[in-house]
Amino acid sequence: MAKVQFIKSADVKPWLAELAQQHRVFAPAYDGEALIFRPFDPELEVVLDRAATMPPKKTVFPQSEMLVDFTYSKDPEDLSRVRIEARETLPEGKTLVFGSRPCDVRGFTMFDRVYLSEKMTDIYYQARRRNTLFISLACSTIENTCFCHWVGSDPCDHTGSDVLAIPVSGGYLLESVTVSGEKLLDSQLLADGASRKAEADKFCHEIAGLLGSTRDLSQAPEKLLAVFDNMEFWEEVSAKCLSCGACTYLCPSCYCFNITDETSGMKGKRLRSWDNCMSAQFTMEASGHNPRPTKAHRLKNRVGHKFSYYPAIHGGVTSCCGCGRCIKSCPAGIDIREIVLKAINFAPAAVEE
Amino acid sequence: MPVLKGKELRIVGFLCNWCSYGGADTAGVGRFTQPTDLRIIRVPCSGRIDPLFIIKTLMNGADGVLVSGCHPRDCHYAEGNFYARRRLEVLHRFLPILGFEPGRFEYTWVSASEGQRWQQVVTRFTEQIHKLGPAPKIAGPEASKTLRQMEAAL
Amino acid sequence: MKYQQELKDSIRKALPDLDVVIAWSSGFDPLHATPHFIRRDEDIDRLEIGPLCVHNLATYLPGLRGKKVGIVVKGCDSRSVIELLQENLIKREDVTIFGFPCTGVVDQTKVRKALGNAGRVDFCQVASQTLVVGAGGTEHKLRLSKVLADKCFSCQYPNALLADHFVGEKISPSVAEEEGYDDLAAFENMPLDERFAFWQKEMDRCIRCYACRNACPMCVCRDHCLAESRDPHWLSQEDNVRDKWMFQLIHAYHLAGRCTECGECQRACPMDIPLLLLKKKMNKEIKELFQYEAGVDPAATPPLLSFKMEEENIKEREW
Ligand code: SF4
Ligand code: SF4
Ligand code: SF4
Ligand code: SF4
Ligand code: SF4
Repeated sequence: MAKVQFIKSADVKPWLAELAQQHRVFAPAYDGEALIFRPFDPELEVVLDRAATMPPKKTVFPQSEMLVDFTYSKDPEDLSRVRIEARETLPEGKTLVFGSRPCDVRGFTMFDRVYLSEKMTDIYYQARRRNTLFISLACSTIENTCFCHWVGSDPCDHTGSDVLAIPVSGGYLLESVTVSGEKLLDSQLLADGASRKAEADKFCHEIAGLLGSTRDLSQAPEKLLAVFDNMEFWEEVSAKCLSCGACTYLCPSCYCFNITDETSGMKGKRLRSWDNCMSAQFTMEASGHNPRPTKAHRLKNRVGHKFSYYPAIHGGVTSCCGCGRCIKSCPAGIDIREIVLKAINFAPAAVEE
Repeated sequence: MPVLKGKELRIVGFLCNWCSYGGADTAGVGRFTQPTDLRIIRVPCSGRIDPLFIIKTLMNGADGVLVSGCHPRDCHYAEGNFYARRRLEVLHRFLPILGFEPGRFEYTWVSASEGQRWQQVVTRFTEQIHKLGPAPKIAGPEASKTLRQMEAAL
Repeated sequence: MKYQQELKDSIRKALPDLDVVIAWSSGFDPLHATPHFIRRDEDIDRLEIGPLCVHNLATYLPGLRGKKVGIVVKGCDSRSVIELLQENLIKREDVTIFGFPCTGVVDQTKVRKALGNAGRVDFCQVASQTLVVGAGGTEHKLRLSKVLADKCFSCQYPNALLADHFVGEKISPSVAEEEGYDDLAAFENMPLDERFAFWQKEMDRCIRCYACRNACPMCVCRDHCLAESRDPHWLSQEDNVRDKWMFQLIHAYHLAGRCTECGECQRACPMDIPLLLLKKKMNKEIKELFQYEAGVDPAATPPLLSFKMEEENIKEREW
């Protein structure tokens, strides 16, 4: 049985301060005009009334992280012999993210299928994923860019979260999702929330209603494959794309990376850093050949991967959580929904005799 | 190190091969006493110096950067230092927006025969940098942790 | 917008000789426009001009070399087209320029701030210097004077400086030139250490998406940028302020004397980093030193690609 507690709005900060004793706590706060997840600081205003510019992706999947640090040393007897000493650098410590949105956190479940599969485990990812807890907040406003309901989610979805907070009068209802989440709900600042459960349910029902009608994407995997070789289609939908990395880096479910060695003198580190399929370098081969030479090829991959290739190997799950960030923050106003629908509705022109 | 008391600072000099590097050599051969903070990087021509070299040098923690080339009209490649003059002047005016004191970077002209002048230039620039003290340093990857402190300072 | 129909007619006439005309249309919600590529006659109907047409479409021109391209430009955008011509990056005979008198475009960051957490936008209209936005069941009235882009308040060239087809009456700039650099002057009044701290704080949130670079009409290296080059190795892959800030200086420097101050870099930045400040500083110094502005005269040579034996404004550093 999930534990259900209530917290007064005014007690959120004191509660976070409490939690910060055992965790590195991140909460949404402004940095300039951007709303990002920042280390909790009692002096910072925690902003919960809109979705953050940037999802809390960095907490589990840092923009750049050291995998190995290494040192070269020369054998004094035989200078042509160089030894390399390498040390694995696994992340440590517990992290807690407060105020993530259901779509943000659902994104990590897309990572999990890839990095924590039966065949392969990414130990760096695993270490952070295990040690990071999420207290997500159900959305109370719907933006034009939100479409979580198209991809099987909703504003009160708790998938991937440890606790789900739902706005109720005077504060939030806190519902544990996992055992670790339940342990977070022990504070003196919290009161039993059972009596407010009905109010919370009503809230979730109403907010889901605001999302409006959904679209059937079941044909997307197949239809996107059908236009795979239709470069004219892709050139047209990508014409205004600038081939930057904004959409992928802001996407809670984009997980690609690059590995590079940064060496200085006899020391160095092997880094894993974000990479993205919209970049020309992403598929650049050592020979100089690039199998995805144009932005049309790249955008095809971004859309195709999320709505066709990923679902094809992961039980039909779309690897887009409908957060809308790629739409909202795209400098060219590319709308991924429009592209998917266009592919679904695409009827090849009748072949002329 | 007669002019300077205390610790050396990190000063990087970009010198053109044909004039200023020769000038520095002349000063050395003439055994003119000079401060030892400067580390010289020889480049073919002052026109080869991308202003970004200087910015990167400062970002990587140098306390001062000095550029010296052939006097205008004396460029080995005829025009290199004319282009350089424009670029370097723009840089000199641009740097303060980043928070670097303008005096952390200077450019000048020294010919191969001007050993004495080289000595003066180095001495004067080194003194200038010592007056400014160590340059501001960029925080490492842990920058986000110091974000709050910086915000408080603004 | 007043001249929209006229513009459509003008495009309709020219379209048969062109592969594509780049304009704007309504975007993902009523509050956003989006670049619109017109290939067929029916695409013309969706064209819209007005204060939401923030994108500088000149960015697309170098990528369309070899094609016959029509482009609709605001005054500031036309400067980017001119600069591209100055640098021989596009051919004059390949571009057909459609101009109109521009009365300013919004800054979406300001709009977002003014609207607050308004929820879903249902409509957006411009009426007498006001942007009327219907969102979450409420009508929000935003004075244009509060939400226009900063550049528009100091705009000197509201009419395309170069156009093959100009619709409407040319208008004159509404402000004196000097006012455009007030924000820079204010910043330069801050002590040096605070400026240094400012950039460290601002650059810290950069995610290295390079939207700033890719949106810039004058960043033409595109897929061959230094930022991602391993040899030479200017930047590491680390997530630190030094590399992120350094990239902005690479950008500012590669744009020195070429930047037309369209503001696209800053507009494109999803993290709202005030990048334009660096470009404005560069432009201001270049203007003072060489009396030069980029993208004003198709025949002019950018100042850092030329020199004078005796420079009027450079005092030799004889010391
Ligand atoms: S879709 Fe938008 S954000 Fe993504 S690469 Fe293209 S221009 Fe950039
Ligand atoms: S693809 Fe776009 S809408 Fe989908 S999860 Fe990523 S950023 Fe959000
Ligand atoms: S700067 Fe001038 S031309 Fe450009 S959008 Fe603003 S008002 Fe229009
Ligand atoms: S640097 Fe920025 S303001 Fe200058 S031309 Fe490029 S995008 Fe426009
Ligand atoms: S657009 Fe902004 S976040 Fe992206 S690389 Fe440029 S400065 Fe960084």
